[in-house]
Amino acid sequence: YCQICINGGISFEYHRYEEMRKALVSVWLQCPSITRIYTVGESYEGRELLVLEMSDNPGIHEPGEPEFKYIGNMHGNEAVGRELLIYLAQYLCNEYQEGNDTIIDLIHSTRIHIMPSMNPDGFEKAASQYIHVWNKLKFLKGIDLNRNFPDLDRIVYMNEKEGGSNNHLLKNMKKAVDENTKLAPETKAVIHWIMDIPFVLSANLHGGDVVANYPYDETRSGSTHEYSASPDDLVFKTLAKAYSSYNPVMSDPNRPACRKNDDDSSFKEGITNGGAWYSVPGGMQDFNYLSSNCFEITLELSCDKFPPEDALKQYWDQNRNSLVNYIEQVHRGVAGFVRDLQGNPISNTSISVEGIDHDITTAKDGDYWRLLGPGNYKVSASAPGYLTVVKKVAVSHSPATRLDFELESLEERKEEEKEELMDWWKMMSETLNF
Amino acid sequence: MASKRVGIVVVLAVISQISAFPTPAGPDGELLNNQQAYKPKPTPPAEAESNSEDDDITFLKSLAEKSKESNNETPISDSVDERYGTDEADTTKNRRLADDYDSTKNGMDYKYQDDPESFRQLDGTPLTAHDIVQKIANKIYEEDDRGVFDRIVSKLLKLGLITDSQAETLEYEVAEALQDLITKNAKDNMIGDLSMDYPVNSVKDTQNNMDEEDRPSRRYDDEDEGDDDNGGDDDNGDEEREDEIRDDTVRAEDSWDAVSDGNDRNELNPEDGLQDLQFFPNFYRLLKSLDSEQDKEERETLITIMKTLIDFVKMMVKYGTITPEEGVSYLENLDAMIALQTKNKLGKSLVPLSITPPTGKALDDDDNTKTEAANMQKEYETLKDSTKDVQTAAEINYDLSKLRDFMDQQVDAYIDKGILEKDEGDVIKRIYGSL
Repeated sequence: YCQICINGGISFEYHRYEEMRKALVSVWLQCPSITRIYTVGESYEGRELLVLEMSDNPGIHEPGEPEFKYIGNMHGNEAVGRELLIYLAQYLCNEYQEGNDTIIDLIHSTRIHIMPSMNPDGFEKAASQYIHVWNKLKFLKGIDLNRNFPDLDRIVYMNEKEGGSNNHLLKNMKKAVDENTKLAPETKAVIHWIMDIPFVLSANLHGGDVVANYPYDETRSGSTHEYSASPDDLVFKTLAKAYSSYNPVMSDPNRPACRKNDDDSSFKEGITNGGAWYSVPGGMQDFNYLSSNCFEITLELSCDKFPPEDALKQYWDQNRNSLVNYIEQVHRGVAGFVRDLQGNPISNTSISVEGIDHDITTAKDGDYWRLLGPGNYKVSASAPGYLTVVKKVAVSHSPATRLDFELESLEERKEEEKEELMDWWKMMSETLNF
Repeated sequence: MASKRVGIVVVLAVISQISAFPTPAGPDGELLNNQQAYKPKPTPPAEAESNSEDDDITFLKSLAEKSKESNNETPISDSVDERYGTDEADTTKNRRLADDYDSTKNGMDYKYQDDPESFRQLDGTPLTAHDIVQKIANKIYEEDDRGVFDRIVSKLLKLGLITDSQAETLEYEVAEALQDLITKNAKDNMIGDLSMDYPVNSVKDTQNNMDEEDRPSRRYDDEDEGDDDNGGDDDNGDEEREDEIRDDTVRAEDSWDAVSDGNDRNELNPEDGLQDLQFFPNFYRLLKSLDSEQDKEERETLITIMKTLIDFVKMMVKYGTITPEEGVSYLENLDAMIALQTKNKLGKSLVPLSITPPTGKALDDDDNTKTEAANMQKEYETLKDSTKDVQTAAEINYDLSKLRDFMDQQVDAYIDKGILEKDEGDVIKRIYGSL
């Protein structure tokens, strides 16, 4: 690659593990004030699950700043996502330095986490056996990480029938997760990651088809194809389209199916509901939505899971705008802080939107981000020990509407009422002279 | 590996005896034991199979038949016996084959042209296991159907005729063979996998290929002769990546001919981003001197850090910490220091130094170095004299040392976490330390 070419520096080739690591280090060296590299854990064979974080204050969650993540190469032989994310990191750094205002604003207002490969072991194996005509590599002994997540869909569907929650279902399962021997180390590492950082929006990059897929992935009835809407079906459709509409191949209504007998009848405008396409239990996408505040969609970016290297630039061209535009979607809906009357943040407050049966919660600094399409909403904030507050809000397309809540604790209210009572008693006694 | 290949050959030989291939759904996937596999099956083929499955079976059978001649002098047969010595069934295999072998044909006379699926070397010798892997790979390549392999392997597995690890090995070897095929064919035909529209014209393509190769070398020659001609570079422009070292040299020469030949630097197009390095002609020369293999990493790191520094100074100018003029003179000062350091360390200059101030005043490179040294001295004097500059330099140095400390810290943390190798970290620290 051209070393002295300052305006570019992206080499459109495959990166094995060492090369990937070096590429990320290179981005960090070039943009040390806005990047940080960290690892989420180790793969089965001991490779680091590397993440490059980009923000104006890397390493720190700034109160009110939404967190975003991209995860690629969860399936080791689906290589395009991994590469695109490496290029994206380089691209964002370059553009930031070139003074691209859109990118500068994005990096200043968002904390972006990029994990090019969740399955570095699988990639190494696929890369060494890579054959361009061979797009259905079989891993005779592998674990499909996208069937490896705890199946919270099952629990939700049960709760829908019998009553019960449809969010933050992992609360009581953390210990179970750690002790679960069926979970791959990569799965566990990512689950911890999801629990530790208050992600708001995410996408998970795959290959083998071309579409933006959204929850729920698992069908309710257990059948192989069935539209399975989540409570945020509308929001998800908007998010998925925000990606697909900038990808000319994905959004091409006349695009032929990847393989002759593929059933892509559920694809519309480059997006599809997961269950309508085919049922996927134990997937990471739904796990995000049901265990945390994070809304995740799945991006299938190439018919060919492991295309020839000289196709990589083309995939970058097709996806670059989508990748950036999708990050921008994190700044939509309503966002703000929940505090008590003294101004202290209240974490773990439930934020409910009337008409959408899925609550999200405030993070440690009392901050929350509720993704919504444009419209008028009634939003309420409720926390144990506090009086619930409901507010009406008009949401535009973008950016997010700021909506803060001050909650009065029940104790305070009791005190107030007591005082009121005392005042009333005092007044009464004075009036009646006793 | 060879032993495993041989195992596969034996397995294929076994397949040839099974006249009615059970359908995958047939015995419900249960593994037939080896004994069962060898009983002739009187039953007709169960269900109607797809044509491709028939082809695969035929293919397999013919592969096996042709490879296993009664001519037991081939090394394969010997090692087969060794390999499967412990397995009784395999002795049976050998005998069955001998029985099946059609005595009307003998090795030399077999007319392979009758059977399109036959596989023999041209000189009539039987195929080795390697050849078989090759043939499978060829078939997959020609039919452009990976399903060929999948179907064969899944059947073998279902029947328990090969183990998982044998299948994996087979897959690995066929994969390798296929990869070689593709590389070879790609070279011959110069076809990108994307574009099926290209007419396959190997003559034309080979010519193109040669042109491509010529261009870089032409550029290289050109620049040695001091010629500014870009040759055929224009089209490839920013995308040119094949020859990184040549690329570097050419691009740098494009921009720094200004320095050596006295061309006005202002000819540079400010849009193409190369203007940043115009403050570092000596840095560039230092880079050029780090051209050995072990210097490669140091070189790369050096470049990245310099880019960062430039960006750093730009930011300070942007936020008004320093004026643009101060930024420029800082950078030029830095470059002069690099020249000095290099000179001290190497005991000589890399090239006759030439420091051209941004005003466009140019000095001929071939001029005597005394003038250069005098100029450099003058620059230092100027810097020393102006108290304002010194103050600003101090500010910059303060911020720079903060950056340096921060990077030191980060590098250590990264080494701990396995994100950086120790030697990489050392290089980075060293470079930051020397600035």
